Amino acid sequence: MFLTFYVHPVSTFGAVLDMVTDRISTACLLVILSQVYRPSFVFLSLLALDIGSHWFQMYSTFLVGKSNHKDVKDSTSWLFRLYYGNRMFMGYCCVACELLYIILFLLAKESEKMTDVLMDAAKQSIIYSALLAFLLFGWATKQLVNVIQMKTAADLCVLYDLNKKHNK
Amino acid sequence: MTSKSRPSTISVYLYIPNIIGYIRVLLNCYAFAICFTNKELFSVLYFISFVCDALDGWFARKFNQVSTFGAVLDMVTDRISTACLLVILSQVYRLSFVFLSLLALDIASHWLQMYSTFLVGKSNHKDVKDSTSWLFKLYYGNRMFMGYCCVACEVLYITLFLLAKDSEKMMDVLLGTAKQSIVYSALLAVLLFGWATKQLVNVIQMKTAADLCVLYDINKKHNA
Repeated sequence: MFLTFYVHPVSTFGAVLDMVTDRISTACLLVILSQVYRPSFVFLSLLALDIGSHWFQMYSTFLVGKSNHKDVKDSTSWLFRLYYGNRMFMGYCCVACELLYIILFLLAKESEKMTDVLMDAAKQSIIYSALLAFLLFGWATKQLVNVIQMKTAADLCVLYDLNKKHNK
Repeated sequence: MTSKSRPSTISVYLYIPNIIGYIRVLLNCYAFAICFTNKELFSVLYFISFVCDALDGWFARKFNQVSTFGAVLDMVTDRISTACLLVILSQVYRLSFVFLSLLALDIASHWLQMYSTFLVGKSNHKDVKDSTSWLFKLYYGNRMFMGYCCVACEVLYITLFLLAKDSEKMMDVLLGTAKQSIVYSALLAVLLFGWATKQLVNVIQMKTAADLCVLYDINKKHNA
């Protein structure tokens, strides 16, 4: 996954394989998190958002013919421009997300409540608090972008149909 | 550019089949929120959502409200509800890797299929006519058979969920049920056959789609 930021896949199959592997590995990570923490509904929702936003985005990208969903240039949302315009920031958000999930998994003991685990870790030292805040911010930004992405992509699907009808 | 005004996007979002789609999403959200506290209600709600899935396509054609957004919403809701069902199955049965694998296969096969369909410009992945595989021709050529396999898959998962008690082994649960009567055995066999066919088709679909991606690149180079 990290290579995708620096190495452009030279085959279509490679690009798809990359995307599919990302989706599946994130999904499996969320699944095992839903097993070690109650309430699992949180992780089911994150899984739904990940699949839904990426699926809509891929579909709408094909409809409008952009080569890559990371090349969005025309969105008016400042968050969009920040996220997609700046590869470092995007990389930070993606990495923070995966790291947060891994850390949550490592910290878990027997079906604890997630908020307790996070609070305990934060209380141990100011460094842990800062680190957690850093990860949570990146994670939250990524999820917010997922939601906006899904809405934008849905609009593109609708506009595609409207334009098709209009041009008949 | 003509100055004829276009209807706003909200008109498509309010299409009847799309509203049914939103109801499906809400039903699924509520169902999965209560799935461990009320298994029976969960199963009923999931089943209703499954029926809505069949209905919204029919409504779309009947009211001439077919939309790309609706088709994508449908596909995404299907993928997510199947994924969540497999997730909760992985929680009640130890052997989670089985369900994680099924989840991976479902996501990968549908994703690759959609991608390759766009590359070669077929309108619908269910319209494959040129595959030489007899199983492919049987599955996609016969809507009843395809419907049976899809329904069998979902019913098997729901049944497994309803039958589960405290982290049992799945094999014990299945064998225990089958032994109870010949009718249960026959029913389970029917479900398992449909499920197995669907998974096999997923695997073949994934390979075919991957080949199409590779051929797309080769053709592009060849024509460059």
